[in-house]
Amino acid sequence: MLRRNIRMRREYLYRKSLEGKERLLYEKKRKIREALQEGKPIPTELRNEEAALRREIDLEDENTAVPRTHIDDEYAHAAEKDPKILLTTSRDPSAPLQQFVKELSYVFPNAQRMNRGGQVISEIIESCRAHDYTDVVLVHEHRGVPDGLIVCHLPYGPTAYFGLLNVVTRHEIKDKKAIGTMPEAYPHLIFDNFSTKLGERTANILKYLFPVPKPDTKRIVTFSNQSDYVSFRHHIYEKHGGPKSIELKEIGPRFELRLYQIKLGTVDQAEAQIEWVIRPYMNTSKKRKFLSD
Amino acid sequence: MADSKDAGEEALRRLIATFQPSFLAPNPALSETSRAASRHLFSALRPFCPKSPLDQLLIDGFDAEQIWQQIDLQSQPLLSSLRRQVKHFAKNPEEISKLKVVPLGKKVEKEQREDWVEESDGFDEELEDDEEGEGKGGEEGMDIEDEDEEQGRESDNEEESEGEDEEEKGEDGEAGDGGIEDKFLKIDELAKYLEKEEENFEKAEEDTRGKKGADDEENTEDDDDDDEEEEEEEEESDEVSVLLGSIVSDFVLLCLHRMLSLDLAAKMQQGTWKMQGMDLFYGVFLTLEHCGWDEQFILLLRYEDFFGDKGKYSKKMKAQLHQESEGSDEEDDDMKFKKQNKGTASTHQKQLEKIHSKIEEMEKANLEPKTWTMQGEVTAAKRPKNSALEVDLDFEHNVRPAPVITEEVTASIEDMIKKRITEGNFNDVQKAPKLPSKVPREVKELDDNKSKKGLAEIYEQEYVEKEDPTSAPLSFRDEQKQQASVLFKKLGLKLDALAHFSFAPKPVIEDMSVQINVPALAMEEIAPVAVSDAAMLAPEEVFEGKGDIKEETELTKEERKRRRANKKRRFKAAAVKRMGKKVQEGALPNQMNG
Repeated sequence: MLRRNIRMRREYLYRKSLEGKERLLYEKKRKIREALQEGKPIPTELRNEEAALRREIDLEDENTAVPRTHIDDEYAHAAEKDPKILLTTSRDPSAPLQQFVKELSYVFPNAQRMNRGGQVISEIIESCRAHDYTDVVLVHEHRGVPDGLIVCHLPYGPTAYFGLLNVVTRHEIKDKKAIGTMPEAYPHLIFDNFSTKLGERTANILKYLFPVPKPDTKRIVTFSNQSDYVSFRHHIYEKHGGPKSIELKEIGPRFELRLYQIKLGTVDQAEAQIEWVIRPYMNTSKKRKFLSD
Repeated sequence: MADSKDAGEEALRRLIATFQPSFLAPNPALSETSRAASRHLFSALRPFCPKSPLDQLLIDGFDAEQIWQQIDLQSQPLLSSLRRQVKHFAKNPEEISKLKVVPLGKKVEKEQREDWVEESDGFDEELEDDEEGEGKGGEEGMDIEDEDEEQGRESDNEEESEGEDEEEKGEDGEAGDGGIEDKFLKIDELAKYLEKEEENFEKAEEDTRGKKGADDEENTEDDDDDDEEEEEEEEESDEVSVLLGSIVSDFVLLCLHRMLSLDLAAKMQQGTWKMQGMDLFYGVFLTLEHCGWDEQFILLLRYEDFFGDKGKYSKKMKAQLHQESEGSDEEDDDMKFKKQNKGTASTHQKQLEKIHSKIEEMEKANLEPKTWTMQGEVTAAKRPKNSALEVDLDFEHNVRPAPVITEEVTASIEDMIKKRITEGNFNDVQKAPKLPSKVPREVKELDDNKSKKGLAEIYEQEYVEKEDPTSAPLSFRDEQKQQASVLFKKLGLKLDALAHFSFAPKPVIEDMSVQINVPALAMEEIAPVAVSDAAMLAPEEVFEGKGDIKEETELTKEERKRRRANKKRRFKAAAVKRMGKKVQEGALPNQMNG
């Protein structure tokens, strides 16, 4: 098991290192294809390799034509398999944090909540890998108010670190009758205003926490981005009259997410490569937006 | 010896007589003179240092540094012994009186003194000269350091010689008069002055405010000569050095004053001339010469009096300085400033000290590693624990503040959601299309409905198909398709007839159909053609009747009557019906007519 893990990790890193070369190859093939289609002469730098590349182009099918990145590797089986999530907290959680985590376990379908106790992060990750979990979500707090969310995709996947702001939990709404019970159908997802590459990446990380829904569910989970602050909302809708009337009823917790780091490794790998990290001390950081345009 | 002695004295005298600034320019004759003078002095001092390895100062072929080292070799042990003795006398003043006074002649003493003075003089001059000789690489001014060194050497010599002098004079003073006193020195005056000074000093120590400003004033107004006297005639007491220092400080001030009064003042203001140690020396020289001092006595001034740091004098000195330069008002302030009794160091001295100490501090700080706040990126491991709490960390937070969730924001989000729902535009996870690994199995759908055709019909159809495949009824499921194909066949036939030259119509295929009511035996009969249906039909099919069927002949009378009655009844009912219809029809035309 250990050796297998090591081998697979090395394979993943090797594939990542090959990406550059693969991209080059892809570019060359693309140029040749274009030249052939338009009837233009093939660019001179590709003359030597033209024959071999042409043969490869002919043999390609739709899977091999697109260059695969490590991102694809990370989420290769995500669409085929339903995600399995482990939710846990930092050590010694307060009661409000425990309640929040309980709510979150209802928000994510197929999520399992676990008491943290005194476990070490690396142990948690190892056991999750062994039990075929796809994601681990850690929630941190400050004096009862949840303030941090760490989403770690499991087989060597990326880890996204979010800060939580303006958290409103279901427990704060005292009237239990009004809020009702939480539905457990697989929800539809809405990702609004994630236009840059980094935005797409973040959207993917959050998207693959959810399974494939049925087309007619009434439950909606929304991640709406406004100047790098992502609002999380959870609704149920009803269509009373005709198609135009839609009534939304908000259920579930509501919070703002603020991404501050993405690492290309799991949580326990402290020395993993940083894909992106927030830099608030730059003078222009007030003007720049990273998740949208 | 005498000759050499004379030569040496001569050299000394010549040195003293030379114009001081001429020392600045390299002059081989002057250096020769100074060397001779120093040799003379050295040999004069030789009897007082028994342990000295050198009997004579070796000059020929030696450079200034080496000559100086030889002098140093002699003077260092001398100095230490003198210091010891001075201390001893300082502790036990009564022993001074016990000192054996050597009843030398005045002249001899004087000569001796002169010798010593000359020696020291020579040392000074020579050293100066040597310094000049060394530094003649085109440098006009000498470094302060060199001068200081020089002064140091001079002071050493002066101290030593002065110490000896003091001792000597102390002895003499007790014994008699004429040996010491001259036109400058009056012992009575000296005694008075000393007492005064002692009182003053005590007062100064007690009272930091210093009321003896007035006293000082008086003192400074005294004749310079007195001061000079004090300097030479001193008791070996605790305050000896103090007094010396004070007196010398007075001098210094005077000299400064005088110097400044010269054209040097102008230069100083212009900034072209900075006061250096050498200049001070010259200034002193000039001043004292102006006062009428003998050159020998001038040289008794010690270096330390100019540049040494004696903690007790500064007050007095400062006071005097201010008196001379300005009024006595500031004196008190200065006294207040000086809480400690510092030595009578000049302001320049003190400034220098301050600067030096600052420089040292800064150099030390530069050599040490910087504090963690100045070290750029510092992690928590690299700085002391909780140190970030104590430091005021100030940096700009260049971030957009968190959005406040208002009603409008929520409404806008919900609007967007509603729009997406109506469009059905969701960002769900899409199931990836799996690559076909197996051939999809054919699923045979079994129709549960009861078949409309009976089993016999199905067998019939199969038989027909077998016999004549072409005549099989078109087994189209779709009726429309069936109709369409029939139509098309007809059309095709007609088109063929039109299109072909040699058209041969298709042979009519007899349509085989299954007839149900066929007799079991279909024999050819020679029977008449006209066959009624009755032959085909079974008797029940011909007539169906129920009950007991009787003929007319078999009927009884009642039964005949009953039959007739039934017949009539039926006939009548039908007739009535007919009539009803006729009436209706008749009514209509009647109505129409009417």
